[in-house]
Formats: sequence, structure tokens, C-alpha cells
Amino acid sequence: MSESAMLSMTKNTGPMLIVLSLLIALSFVTELAKAETLEVELRIRDHLFFPSTLIIPANQKVKIRVINEDPTPEEFESFELNREKVIAAHSQTVIFIGPLEVGEYPFFGEFYPKTAQGVVVAK
Amino acid sequence: MRYLVNTFQKRKTLLSLIRRLSSLFLLSVASINLAFADGSVIDKVYHPYVDAMEKELEFRSFFQNLPATNSLPEHVHQLSIGSAWGQSLFGEAKLVGSKTQQNGFQLSAVEFELKWQLTEQGEYSADWGLVFEIEHGMERTPDELSVGLLIEKEFGRWSTTANLFAIQEWGDAIEGEFETAFGLQARYRQSRLFEPALEFYLGQDTVGIGPVLIGATNLGARKSLSWEFGVIAGVSSKSPNSTYRLLLEYEF
Repeated sequence: MSESAMLSMTKNTGPMLIVLSLLIALSFVTELAKAETLEVELRIRDHLFFPSTLIIPANQKVKIRVINEDPTPEEFESFELNREKVIAAHSQTVIFIGPLEVGEYPFFGEFYPKTAQGVVVAK
Repeated sequence: MRYLVNTFQKRKTLLSLIRRLSSLFLLSVASINLAFADGSVIDKVYHPYVDAMEKELEFRSFFQNLPATNSLPEHVHQLSIGSAWGQSLFGEAKLVGSKTQQNGFQLSAVEFELKWQLTEQGEYSADWGLVFEIEHGMERTPDELSVGLLIEKEFGRWSTTANLFAIQEWGDAIEGEFETAFGLQARYRQSRLFEPALEFYLGQDTVGIGPVLIGATNLGARKSLSWEFGVIAGVSSKSPNSTYRLLLEYEF
């Protein structure tokens, strides 16, 4: 391709960028959930997760309400779930996961990884 | 019932705010005489997330293969320190140094960056964030103010992230200029140590695409080292033939 043709291509990509941006924005436009998301509870006490096995339905988005009862912060972390979130001492937060395929997805507490361990089981 | 109605209204308000911000951003990009960012726009692709209580030291390096007469930097190195502010803001201060074929390595800019996580990860069909940057250039490097829209969407083990930047440049050595830059990353979450990705960048002097290797390892409680190494090939005549990019990040 000649230099002038390449230069012209680069200049003409301006409108393309706008169209591309709009397409991305449109494709990513967030929609309100059609149904209320299922909520489950996970507690942190004495640097342990309760329950340590969290059973959820497969192929459905789930909201996990994480309640930290300890006087120290903890971080929910899972590479398999692609989530990491800090929960301050004596506070709570929500983490959205899924829809997940059937399987097991381990998670742990990054501040106390030796004790704070758990698994999400999608059935 | 009242809780459900309040939750619904809060969501509607948040979504409405995000849509307005996005529309304003895109309209401002579209309505101003559009130009792409000059210089190289190859950088890292930003994700729209903030990890509360996180502090980090980051080093980024870029090496560009340029034609002999090109005045763009051959090497750019950035050193930054950052910290989360609450649950959704992350601030970072940077020193930027560069070397051109005509001049030796020198400090070229100081920069401050603020990232704002707009939505909870996974709550909506995509995750949204904004990043603001203000840069003060040394000598002939222009000053710069930019805002970037960050969008990420998960498809199973794939994560796709788009960054769209609007940039205003000014300074003694240049005419004030409004520019845009675009970055896209598709990343496969194979394992924490090995996440192959493909990145695409678009700017006035750059159209580039290439593979990037991403990974991280834990170094103890709340301590980790992450890295990104990529080779971006130029696909237009004005782009650098190839750009090697390296990022090392220590989180604590």
C-alpha cells in the first residue's frame, strides 16, 4: 500500500472511531436486570468463611452478601471467579458472580489465606 | 417491597448517570474537530476496577523501532506510586522519562492520574469506569489533560476491555489540540501466572496490534507482583514498526 493511501486510511479512520465507539457503547449499554438477582449470604468469623461451601444455581447471576464479623479487614479473592474485593472490619459488601457453568470455583481470604478458604459450587 | 422499589430506583439513577456520562463523552468527542492523538498511543489498557486499601509501585517501559529521522521517543519509562482512596477511587503520581534519536534520556513529564470505578463488577452487562489524567510536560513536551472511558465485559474466561480517551494538549511549543485515542484488549484467563491477550491501539500516528503476556504471583499476604509484556506491530506507515512494552507492578 502506498504512503498516500496509508495516510488517507489513517485520516479517514476518524468517523470509524466514532462509529466504533458508539457500537461499543451500544453493545455494552447496561440493562436493568429483568428479574431480581438471587442473593446468598457469606460470613467471615475468626478468619473462616461460613459456609465454606456455597451452593448456587448454575447459569444464573448471583449476589453474594459478604458480612465480615471480624475486627480486621479481609479480602475475598478468586482467580476462577475473576473477583477480588476488600471487606472492612465489622462491615458488609456485595459481590456479583455468574452466570457460571456447572463446576467448582475456589475462593480465599487474602489477609488470612491459610484459614479463610471456601468454594462456590454451581449446580 | 419498599426496599425493592428503592433498589430499583437507585439502579435506575446510577444507570442513567452512566448513560449521560457516556453520551456526553462520546458527543464531545464527536462534536469537536476530531484528531487522533499524535505520538504513540501504545500504553497499558486500563481496567475499570479499584481494589480498596491497595497501594502500588509501577514501572512501565516502551521501546519503539522508528525510522532514522523520526523525532518520537525511542524509549519511554514511567515510574509511579499509587493508592486507593476508599472503595472506588485510585490516585497515582508518575514521573515520565524519554529518549529520542536526537536527545539523550531526560525527564519529560510529571503526571497525576485518578481512576474512578463507576459500577460494581458483574452487576450489569458490562463494567464501567473513568480515568482522568493531567500531565505537565518538560521543555518541548506539551501539557495534557485527558479523560478516558473504561469498559469491560466478561465472556466466560475471556475479558474484553475498551479504553476511549479524549485528550486536550497545550503548550509553548505546540498549538492547542484536541485528540482521541483508542485501546482494546481481549484477555484469556488461563491461569494467574499466564493470561495471553491481544491488544489493538488507534491514534493519529499509531495503528498497532499485537500479543501481550499478562501474569501475577502472590508474594505474601496482600503483596503481589504482576507483569505485562507485549509486542505491538505497526500496521500503518506512520506507526512505529514495532513497540515493545513492559509493565511491572508491585501491590501492597
